[in-house]
Amino acid sequence: MVNENLVKDVVKEPYKYGFVTDIETEKISKGLNEDIIRLISSKKEEPEYLLNFRLNAFKKWQQMKEPNWAELGYDEINYQDIIYYSAPKQKEKISSLDQVDPKLLETFDKLGIPLTEQKKLTNVAVDAVFDSVSIATTFREELAEHGVIFCSISEAVKNHSDLIEKYLGSVVPATDNYFAALNSAVFSDGSFVYIPKGVTCPMDLSSYFRINSGDSGQFERTLIIAEESSSVSYLEGCTAPMFDTNTLHAAVVELIALDDASIKYSTVQNWYAGNEEGIGGIFNFVTKRGKCLGNRSKISWSQVETGSAITWKYPSCLLLGEESIGEFYSVALTNNLQQADTGTKMIHIGPKTKSTIVSKGISAGKSKNSYRGLVKMGTKAIGAKNYSQCDSMLIGDQASANTFPYITSQQQNSEIEHEASTCRISEDQLFYLQSRGIEFEEAVSMMVSGFCRDVFNQLPMEFAAEADKLLALKLEGSVG
Amino acid sequence: MNGLITLKKKTKPMQIIEKIKTNKLLSNPTEIQKICLEKLQSNPLPNLKSELWRLSNKSKFLKFLDFSLNGSSTNFEFPYQNNSQNIIRLIIGENSQININSENYSINELNNEELITYIKQNVSSFDQNENWSELLNLCLSFEQNILGLRIKGKKIPPLEILSHATHNSINAKTLILIIEKNCNLDLLQINLGTENSSLSQSTYFCLEANSSVNHGMVAYGENKSNLLNSLNVIQKQNSEYNLGSLHFKFNYARFEIRIKQSLGNAKTNIKGMQITKNDEQIATYTKIEFNGPNGFLDQINKSLADDRSHAIFEGSIIVPKIAQKTDASQLSRNLLLSNHAQIDTKPQLEIIADDVKCKHGATISQLNEEELFYMRSRGLTLAEASKLQLGSFFKEIISFIPVPKGRWDLLNKLLKQD
Repeated sequence: MVNENLVKDVVKEPYKYGFVTDIETEKISKGLNEDIIRLISSKKEEPEYLLNFRLNAFKKWQQMKEPNWAELGYDEINYQDIIYYSAPKQKEKISSLDQVDPKLLETFDKLGIPLTEQKKLTNVAVDAVFDSVSIATTFREELAEHGVIFCSISEAVKNHSDLIEKYLGSVVPATDNYFAALNSAVFSDGSFVYIPKGVTCPMDLSSYFRINSGDSGQFERTLIIAEESSSVSYLEGCTAPMFDTNTLHAAVVELIALDDASIKYSTVQNWYAGNEEGIGGIFNFVTKRGKCLGNRSKISWSQVETGSAITWKYPSCLLLGEESIGEFYSVALTNNLQQADTGTKMIHIGPKTKSTIVSKGISAGKSKNSYRGLVKMGTKAIGAKNYSQCDSMLIGDQASANTFPYITSQQQNSEIEHEASTCRISEDQLFYLQSRGIEFEEAVSMMVSGFCRDVFNQLPMEFAAEADKLLALKLEGSVG
Repeated sequence: MNGLITLKKKTKPMQIIEKIKTNKLLSNPTEIQKICLEKLQSNPLPNLKSELWRLSNKSKFLKFLDFSLNGSSTNFEFPYQNNSQNIIRLIIGENSQININSENYSINELNNEELITYIKQNVSSFDQNENWSELLNLCLSFEQNILGLRIKGKKIPPLEILSHATHNSINAKTLILIIEKNCNLDLLQINLGTENSSLSQSTYFCLEANSSVNHGMVAYGENKSNLLNSLNVIQKQNSEYNLGSLHFKFNYARFEIRIKQSLGNAKTNIKGMQITKNDEQIATYTKIEFNGPNGFLDQINKSLADDRSHAIFEGSIIVPKIAQKTDASQLSRNLLLSNHAQIDTKPQLEIIADDVKCKHGATISQLNEEELFYMRSRGLTLAEASKLQLGSFFKEIISFIPVPKGRWDLLNKLLKQD
């Protein structure tokens, strides 16, 4: 028998990003109403159309009901008890990185995010978002040489208003769902990426989200546009301090790929997950969607979800263009009382579209890990193909793993394949590894890493190594 | 209830539901009918937005309810000849007291008291939405249409039990079978629809320890016939339940299977198939619960949708903590033969136990072109080649239905039509 205690020990590694940065912040009062939205909008000096976009979304949001079909079971969220805008105080506008509060730089350094540009070796451009505002975006000049626009969404509103007006809300309409509507009404910051025609982005772009204050929600919005024949790889990371209250994170990510363009979006989500009794942690209710508008375009989502008390996230692809491709690779790890309801939607609209779904769920402790995905073949999706694979691994006898695939086809000339399996860490394999002199914990983490390999292979290199480590840390103490 | 009102405007009023609501359905309800009516009275329709009902075609579903209740049945002929002496045939609603006692086995009708206790026991755990079909069935089922049998012994001749609908009315039939310990049974159940009719059939099985049942469920209708078919099975330890089912030619049909391995250590095999054409809608919902360790399930469901029809499969497998060492697999295979047809499939796994082997799979495709090409290159016409391929698609399921070969021409009939 595998030793239960040993396994438990493997998952118990404390959350190491749980510190709070002591920095003066500017917060607006709690609550949500039209005035708050006008205030946020005026703070950001937004044009009229954006204010209307927000107000319109707010109106719709008021009429909507919070969805409960995922049966996540959490206490009701009091939307009037949240601060919708919080920013570190800055006396003047920053023109270069040297003027950023050293405390902030220190924070991101501690998190392992290089904001100082001497760390060019990593060759990743970063947009760091602290609570509601973007602190710094690195490598902007280098990117600009290639015509790539990479900045915070507030800046984009000011400098590239035409693009924002054209694309904001075009993939995830303001009224798409409850949390998207909320985000559309109050979104504070986020990243904006524009890759011009024919350009392969010279480096990986990345944004890093940090929630610092315990009573404010984070509502960021990301918009990535890849013009014809361009390509980009985008990474997203997130952490938050440990508070014993729940913090709401409701983001919207929109991707648009035109003819022959490709976007690769990778996430390593490591929000604070709450303690062992399930107190505290982030509620992560995110709407992520990509639109393969052009022919032969490609959108690929890969994600490693290890944090959050509750994750409710379905990165999706609308496959409109002929021969467009959607991919989804996911590893979701839950421990203690975490709940993750994650999956994808692949909506095949255009002919010869293809999609691949690989989802790996690992549940330990008393957590609940569900895959929920939709594959839909529309009437015009002639020759479309989908392949889905969902594997779950259970650690301990109190965790649950669920699979809910929704499959709909209206096109006879299409193929859908779905398979799912559930397993546990096999004693035979453990025994074999241990008999070869490999420590128990190492053996477990080797097997977990093997289980997730299909997904890790899809992650950018730096991320893959990090994800592997992260998983090993999170599982430390949970395998028995 | 607002939804109900708007729906009603579009379709004719649903007689049955109106009567349940206003308590005018039955002048002299039995005890069971009273209990079930009570459960439905305040909320007589299922929640059409819930997962279990959301894909159901609303107007077809309401049509199902739009007939007047018919409790009596006319003399009915079995649809095929009985050329074997060794078969026991029963028609629900037409048989007088059944008591067969032979050397090796006995088949006895449950007395009224046993019947009521058994049904009450089941009804107490029924949920208005999830078990709506059963509740409606028990509300509508008259005393003579409830057949309860206790079966003991071995070497029992094959049993055939038939339920049928009558023109322009809704009929409800209920079958309760208690299979005693160490008993082996082959049962073929036939549900027949006629033109313009609705049939509500509920079947309850209780398999005691070490018993085994090979159950065939064949349901087919005619023009505009509707079916609401529910099957509840409780399996005790070391029992084996094999189900082969076939549903076709219904304007609207729902087949709901609920199986519970109450103490684990049981074996369940299900092979089901549904064929839809024209604008028919046929749905299969299954829920398999493992309430003990060492359970086994092998399930395959096949659908074939042609023309403008809609085939649905939703299967859930529930493995709680207690059900360690469960081995469950579920496969949904679907053929979509027309551009206007639709297939929805949703195999689900809900697992808490860690030492289990569970898997499911689903495919939707059309006929295999390479195979067709191969056969055509050997001189078969396209039509012949398709038929051959469809035949092999069917065969796995049909061969699982316990019907002696050559006795009736169901298979041929089926293939001829396609």
